[in-house]
Amino acid sequence: MADAKISMYLPPNVNPTQAAIAYGCRALPKLNEELQSDDLLTRQKALMALCDLMHDPEHVYTAISIGCLESLKALLKDTNDLVRIKTTEVLCIMATHNVGREGFLEHNVIQALSFLMSDAQPACRENLYTAFKHLAQLPAELQVVAAELHAEDDRGDALEAVDPLFALRPLAAHVHHLEGALGIVNSGLIPSLVWKLQREEEEIQVLLLDTLAACLTEDATEALASRAVPFLKEKLLSTNCDIRSKAARTLIAVSVPPEGKIQVWQHDVIPILVHLLKDRDEEVQANAAGALMNATVTTEGKYAALDAEATRPLLQLLTSSLSKARLNAIKALTMLAEAPEGRKLLQPHVATFRALEEDFSLAVQRAAQIAIRVIEWKP
Amino acid sequence: ATSTLAERASPAMATYTYTSRPRALPCQRRRYRDDLMQQPEEPVHYGNIMYDRRVIRGNTYALQSVPLLFDFDLEVKPMLEVLVGKTIEQSLLEVMEEEELANLRASQYAYEELRNIELAEVQRLEEQERRHREEKERRKQQQWQVVHKHNETSQKIAARAFAQRYLADLLPSVFDSLRDGGYFYDPVERDIEIGFLPWLMNEVDKTMESSMVGRTVLDMLIREVVERRLNLYEQKEGRHASVRPENGLGGPGGTREPLVGFESQDQGASQAQRPLPDRDSLQRTPYDARYAERVSSQERRLAEENDELTEMRKSSKREELSQ
Repeated sequence: MADAKISMYLPPNVNPTQAAIAYGCRALPKLNEELQSDDLLTRQKALMALCDLMHDPEHVYTAISIGCLESLKALLKDTNDLVRIKTTEVLCIMATHNVGREGFLEHNVIQALSFLMSDAQPACRENLYTAFKHLAQLPAELQVVAAELHAEDDRGDALEAVDPLFALRPLAAHVHHLEGALGIVNSGLIPSLVWKLQREEEEIQVLLLDTLAACLTEDATEALASRAVPFLKEKLLSTNCDIRSKAARTLIAVSVPPEGKIQVWQHDVIPILVHLLKDRDEEVQANAAGALMNATVTTEGKYAALDAEATRPLLQLLTSSLSKARLNAIKALTMLAEAPEGRKLLQPHVATFRALEEDFSLAVQRAAQIAIRVIEWKP
Repeated sequence: ATSTLAERASPAMATYTYTSRPRALPCQRRRYRDDLMQQPEEPVHYGNIMYDRRVIRGNTYALQSVPLLFDFDLEVKPMLEVLVGKTIEQSLLEVMEEEELANLRASQYAYEELRNIELAEVQRLEEQERRHREEKERRKQQQWQVVHKHNETSQKIAARAFAQRYLADLLPSVFDSLRDGGYFYDPVERDIEIGFLPWLMNEVDKTMESSMVGRTVLDMLIREVVERRLNLYEQKEGRHASVRPENGLGGPGGTREPLVGFESQDQGASQAQRPLPDRDSLQRTPYDARYAERVSSQERRLAEENDELTEMRKSSKREELSQ
């Protein structure tokens, strides 16, 4: 055993790019002070260290409580590119945690972030949109928690791998009625997001579409007013399969309100959706079926889909392996069966639906039963 | 110590376990087909800088230099522990974070699926309900219209039947009332009624009048004659009959009174012109004088009347001619 000699020299700086993290509870306050320093290098090093620390949700909570968000917001307007990129990265990591999202909503970070949407640095914008996307994943905490509880009842495997703290945290904070997606909607960012959809590169478009899909499930009226449907229609024809599937998913959200359904029919999106039903990717097929399901609620939509011969691809989708695809296809066929022509077309295929009643997913069974009932209805 | 341990664990260089020194395996294959010579021993290149004997590191001479500076292997342990620990902690955090996110996304995905389905179902039912309701409304409206039209038609038919019946009677009744009002007259008959019969009656009147006038004139003539005779007789008697004054009182009283009763005679004569001649002809004996006066006045009047009558006849004839 060697002598425990305390060296006379300061410990070597292992990572010159990162600021030295103080021990224990002094770490975050010290970093906060360093963030506000005038020296560029200090700021940058502090940001790098913060990036690493923010992966721990408890650190996130502490950081927010000591007011790191204010310093970070100030840094967003910094002239140095690296500072901005790193700040957005930190905020992005914070947004992956629930406390982080709530902190965002409380401290009005969304607005500060929105100023960077036309930033020159693509990395900066990418982080920004990722932060938005994570923020938009928070529709309403009660709903998410309720879904989780249901998942516990139906399929016990949903929460096994999840940190138990995660499930409990939203319950403790349920008094918060702020919702992430609504926060984005309320800041009036949807029109600018839709507009950006046209101009950004593909990877960023993927992020934007994700964000939009989540936000529009909350409130789609603003998007409809800012001509989202034509943009989405273009995206449906893109070569990137991710973009197609996400665009279709956004369309599902858009066509929920009645105004959306009317717009979808007016812009002739339904034939494109029918064409997408035969796409190679299953996710795209499922989302296209979902969009059709919502758009064919109106009579015009129904007849547009019947004109585009949607029944055959939808029937093919019934045998798909993705349960979401099967569900959406069943529902879309149910909508079409409301019309007498649809009923006539689907009458010979009732046997397929009966087979689906034996499916192991409860939702599919129920949907198949409803579909059979609608097809065999006599006026 | 650690290095000797590793050598002890796998003495034969051929075995390659997880405790053996990391090294590249020497290639045992013959490289060239015709190479019959044994391959020379190639210098073994170690893959890991930590185990390459050619590199001089801290622990190479540590155990050999006296006094011992430090035992590298012992000192490095805590440092390694901290480093490895921190790295693992950080990576664990990041992995957990990603796993959390993945789980969140998965549960949200499932939730979204269900939510979309339920929403679509709700909207479909709403739409169905709305369509059924509209259909019912339309059918009700149609029915109502049909009933309304039915009512109207039946009312129209009833009204028409009633009007027909009403008007069917109207025509004969109109004609009847017109006929009763005298609007359909036979012109000849009318002409006869208007023109001929009054004239006839007039003529009959006149004829009767003239016959009566004739009789009256005859009566007057007779009277005149009788009076004259009477006067003659009276003159004769007067010379003989101054003896009988009381009869004469009645008579002369009667004769004197006519001076007083002259006016009353006038009145009486004017009052009873037509029937007078008949009655007076019967009352001849007591009132002869008065009667004579009366007849004389009547004569005068009758003469006037005759003149009038002739005038009238002339005028009527003139009228007839004008007609």
